[in-house]
Amino acid sequence: MIRRYRVIGCAALVLLVAACSAPGSSSDSTAGGSPASGSTAPVKIAVVDAQSGSSSDLGQFEYRGVKLAVDQANAAGGVDGRKISLSLFDDQGDPTVGTELARKIASEGYIAMLGTAESAVTLAMAPILESEHIPNITSGQSTKLLAVGSPYLFLNGPTGLTYDSTLAKYVVTTKGYKKIAMLTNNDSYGAGEESAFSTSLKSLGLTPVATKVVPAGQTNMTPELTAIRGANPQVLFIGAEEAQSGLIVKQARALGMNVVIAEGAPAGTPLFLSTAGVADTNGTIVSSPYLGNGVSSAAQAFAAAYTSAYGTAPELHGAKAYDGAEVMIAALKACHACTGLALANAIRAVHYTGLLGTFQFNNQGVGIFATAIGILNDGKITPVSN
Amino acid sequence: MQSFFQTLTSGLSFGAVYALVALGFSLVYRTMGLVNFAHGAVLTIGAYVASTFYLSARLPFAVAVPAAMAVTGAIGLVIERVLRPLENKDFDLMLIGTIGAGTVLEAAAILIWTSAGRGVPSPVSAAPLIVGGVRIGAYNLAVVGIAAVAVGGLTVFLQRTKRGAAMQAVAMDHEAATAVGIHVGRSNALAFAIGAGLAALAGSLASPLLYVSPTMGDSLGIQGFAAAILGGFGSIPGAIVGGLGIGVIGSFAAQWFQGYSDLVTFVVFTVLVMIRPTGIFGEQTVNRA
Repeated sequence: MIRRYRVIGCAALVLLVAACSAPGSSSDSTAGGSPASGSTAPVKIAVVDAQSGSSSDLGQFEYRGVKLAVDQANAAGGVDGRKISLSLFDDQGDPTVGTELARKIASEGYIAMLGTAESAVTLAMAPILESEHIPNITSGQSTKLLAVGSPYLFLNGPTGLTYDSTLAKYVVTTKGYKKIAMLTNNDSYGAGEESAFSTSLKSLGLTPVATKVVPAGQTNMTPELTAIRGANPQVLFIGAEEAQSGLIVKQARALGMNVVIAEGAPAGTPLFLSTAGVADTNGTIVSSPYLGNGVSSAAQAFAAAYTSAYGTAPELHGAKAYDGAEVMIAALKACHACTGLALANAIRAVHYTGLLGTFQFNNQGVGIFATAIGILNDGKITPVSN
Repeated sequence: MQSFFQTLTSGLSFGAVYALVALGFSLVYRTMGLVNFAHGAVLTIGAYVASTFYLSARLPFAVAVPAAMAVTGAIGLVIERVLRPLENKDFDLMLIGTIGAGTVLEAAAILIWTSAGRGVPSPVSAAPLIVGGVRIGAYNLAVVGIAAVAVGGLTVFLQRTKRGAAMQAVAMDHEAATAVGIHVGRSNALAFAIGAGLAALAGSLASPLLYVSPTMGDSLGIQGFAAAILGGFGSIPGAIVGGLGIGVIGSFAAQWFQGYSDLVTFVVFTVLVMIRPTGIFGEQTVNRA
């Protein structure tokens, strides 16, 4: 009996050691290359996005966009006859969970990753993905992602600086507003927006009349808005995620503030509209690379396919994720499902005209360099020529 | 000065919601000596149910809210029934049981309503009241009024009805209450049901001020829990004062300390609790479960 316990104990110890070793840390890790010819195994791609927690809306939008692109690619024959196998991982919007998932997808043989929806999570995962030679196309837009300097990290849209410089130029130069207030939150996205928009205003020779920062989870922004109201601004720039942005607009209107709202990606999304109330968002100036499902024939086709698949219309985040997945698929086809640095180089070489514009990646992994301006009225964004 | 009063009124209207959350915590605690960690999740369910009745079933808000309170009241009864075998036997397991119930309810909310949040339009379309330049939203006033009515109703129930008196007796001495023929289990069940109903009321009333999401109960639950402790855990007047206190402290902290407002709010809370560990009104509870 004792002998049997020893055997079981040794087996358990071996399993424990195996389980505790860092996934992908084995010495035979390579920078990838071309796969063995004639392989029929599925091409494994991981999607990492929040499916629970406060960012789960974004995660759902993103996953739907990715899945639509992959389903279409598989229906068209996949990559060299191989199906693309998509697995979804929930990062909960938590960078710590993100790092655990980065090790997990490396250990389970995924050759590429799409996501996450949040810069903070991507920033935490990027060093691990780089060391594991796993290319990643993220939906994050923080300029901090560029500072990582990883050859494996790509953005599926413009950086926050692009959104905000376009917005600042329209608000100040085109519309002539001079009294601009800023309300941002203190998470990675909000801090990036605060930095990018204030830099853009400075380059136009303007200083905000009021600048306030709120904690990311705060729900009562009336005190900060009361202080901003005292500065009597013409425009209120918001740098926060969808739900908090909507609450800011709702609470600003409740305080009788009839300022023009100016914002980047979150404005115009369904959650922003439903939280703020459609009427309160009228006149909002939006800077976005995707101003709606009717802006182009490609957008219309995408919206029709998306609506058919999910029973609901897409928005910016779904479109970004779709473009990111299309870029990944194009790269996989070009290099015949290669891996590692070869796949990263193939992504960088992709020239793809998608929903957000024409992707042409620079050395920092950014492929889109422009946004357009639209005005929100009755829940619809109308593009303006600026 | 106008800015001061605007910040104060904002803090009071959110504080009224925190007070309702704190009341639910306190009611269960004073009756059973148990912290119901499922309270925030029950609030989330209540907010979702009320918003579904209001937005999807097109029921008037005044009907949707009591309906949601009835649904969560039933959920409270189920939680108490599940925990009842552990009463007076294993307090730790009861606590863990409430955490488990909360996790199940949060998962259920995501399964039923998905993880996507939803905005709820204000059911009151009246123009705001403007006093000396301070704007007070009609709905905010309604929230404070409804919270006051709920507190008054609960007080009358506890002090003027047989069942309420029985709950008070159980809270004071459950063995003596049993000796005089009071059914302790029934009192506990009632405390859970009323607590869950108050959670739904708080969640429903907060919905048009905020938005409904699966994590809604987390932040409101923490604020309500802090309010209950600040006022004196188990004390009904304490829950009200604590709720309004946390609302006002949070509001002024937001204006003066911006991104650090949460930190400042809970530093102030910690200092107050260190000065007066049993809260403003002191603890009124039995230590059992």
